Amino acid sequence: MLFLSQLANALVIGTLYALMALGLSLIFGVLKLVNFSHGECLMVGGYLYYVLATTLKLPLSISLALSLPVLFLFGVFLERSLLRAPYQRRMARYDEYVILVTFALGIFLQNLALPVFGPYNRQAAPLFKGSVRIGELVIAGDRLTGALVAFLVIGILLFFLYRTYLGKGLRAVAQSPGAAAIVGIKVLRMRAVAFGIGITLAGVAGALFGPIFLVNPEMGTSFAVKAFVIVVLGGMGSIKGSIVGAYILAIVESFGSILLPDPSRALAYKDAYGLLLLVLVLLFRPQGLFGEKERRA
Amino acid sequence: MKRIFPALLVLAALLFPFFFRDYWLYVGIIGLYYAILASSWSMLAGQVGLISFAHAAFAGIGAYTSALLVIHGGLSIPLAMAAGALAAAVVGLGIGALTLRMRGPYLALTTLAFSEILRIFITAEYQLTQGSIGLKVPLILDGNKLVCYYTGLALFVLTLVVLTFLIHSRVGLLLVAMREDEDGAATRGVDTVAYRLIAFVVTSAFAGLAGGYYAHVVGLVSPQMVRIGEMGLILAMSVFGGLESLLGAALGAIFLQTLTEYLRIFAEWRLAIFGALVLFTLKFAPEGILPRAYLYAERFMDRWLSRAPR
Repeated sequence: MLFLSQLANALVIGTLYALMALGLSLIFGVLKLVNFSHGECLMVGGYLYYVLATTLKLPLSISLALSLPVLFLFGVFLERSLLRAPYQRRMARYDEYVILVTFALGIFLQNLALPVFGPYNRQAAPLFKGSVRIGELVIAGDRLTGALVAFLVIGILLFFLYRTYLGKGLRAVAQSPGAAAIVGIKVLRMRAVAFGIGITLAGVAGALFGPIFLVNPEMGTSFAVKAFVIVVLGGMGSIKGSIVGAYILAIVESFGSILLPDPSRALAYKDAYGLLLLVLVLLFRPQGLFGEKERRA
Repeated sequence: MKRIFPALLVLAALLFPFFFRDYWLYVGIIGLYYAILASSWSMLAGQVGLISFAHAAFAGIGAYTSALLVIHGGLSIPLAMAAGALAAAVVGLGIGALTLRMRGPYLALTTLAFSEILRIFITAEYQLTQGSIGLKVPLILDGNKLVCYYTGLALFVLTLVVLTFLIHSRVGLLLVAMREDEDGAATRGVDTVAYRLIAFVVTSAFAGLAGGYYAHVVGLVSPQMVRIGEMGLILAMSVFGGLESLLGAALGAIFLQTLTEYLRIFAEWRLAIFGALVLFTLKFAPEGILPRAYLYAERFMDRWLSRAPR
């Protein structure tokens, strides 16, 4: 019974992890950079949903739907203002620049949220309250809706990436920006779109995590670390890898916490299993499960 | 100007305690902690091109190691601080060996994860570390501020001298060659992984040393030391002062530390302001605000000198 409920929990949380990791992975694939502000963008999504649903008292489904375009525009704005010009003029030391600038952006957003929203925990209402009972298994409504919405969004994303013209363009730029430009794909536009979608995915994950866990200015860091572990585990930039990696991390976290006898410690170290997983991957399969082996000159 | 400027700085640093007492002297003592961190971090980021987000975490390792050795091991403070630096170096060796084999952002990813887990560990193991309450640490000579200040200054000068020596040595030359063209350096037989590892371990050791210093001049170490925000502060200082120069980054640290004191009324907006400052600096003056200001000052001086009658 404990096993079954832990497994169900892992599948639910894993789907939400997949959502945020896919955003990171898509950004890495197309822009070839790690978004170190991913956790803070997730937090922005959490607060956006909270403000729309609680402060402005909009219906919950409309709040969630409305946050999508806002997050997308936020992502495009960030790409335009911070990432585009250095890429375009082939800035020296571009690789270090993007790490510094995305990290600084995260610090900025986190410390902006602190005075604006206060250090308190906020909790937004879930789309569906109550719980669902399957045999002896009980799943809380906030988790179930979170997982279902995340599942839907991932489905739409995969359809978009593999079945539409724009998605094909994104994948082309991910494979080879030079070749994509030659066949007439607007690389700069694809980069902005990819960043916008990546931020949207992080933000939606934040909005769905909000009712389950709590929204606070510092929530981003632990989620960002999880997303990093997932993309390294799955292979940087691999879509399939991010999804598989997300479920693996969720299962390890879920069952890892049973192993430690002291409950307060088990709770504290839940986030530490990710690092263990990261170390193992880096030791034995640095390219990740589905990543391509690095080719050196 | 190029020769007078450092000499003036040394003089100012040496005479500082004679003009400022108590409160501002304490600000100076803490400023030196950040100066060591920022200059060693900028060596890594600017000269080697490695971004580590565990610099604050290494300072934390140095601080807790030194503190625990003094409290439980009965070691003298200088020995314990050296042990703290060694502990940071050993952990740095482990992380470096794991991540520096690969190119790309693996070091940044792993160090960020590591510092978050370290914070959780320090908070959770409260029998050992007193958790988030913080661990009370014996002070250097019962906290004599003058001694603390000159200890910090000596450690800071030591950091600058060792790192400058490293930059001007053969190792430094190879590091810059690797930064500019890694494949080229590798083709000429440079063991790129080994040299990057050396740079990472050495700078991490200085972070550990700075942490030990902090522990024994402040008298309290807490998980706050290894927060990501603290890392953001080190980054802000280094970027602001210029990543390419050790002294620039150190001046950035002292400048922002002083600014912090004036921004006390905006207490909670402080890091947001610094974050915005870093974003603007990276976008409009990626070489750093202080180097650019220095450049303008130099131009102005030249013009002014040439105009003056001889």
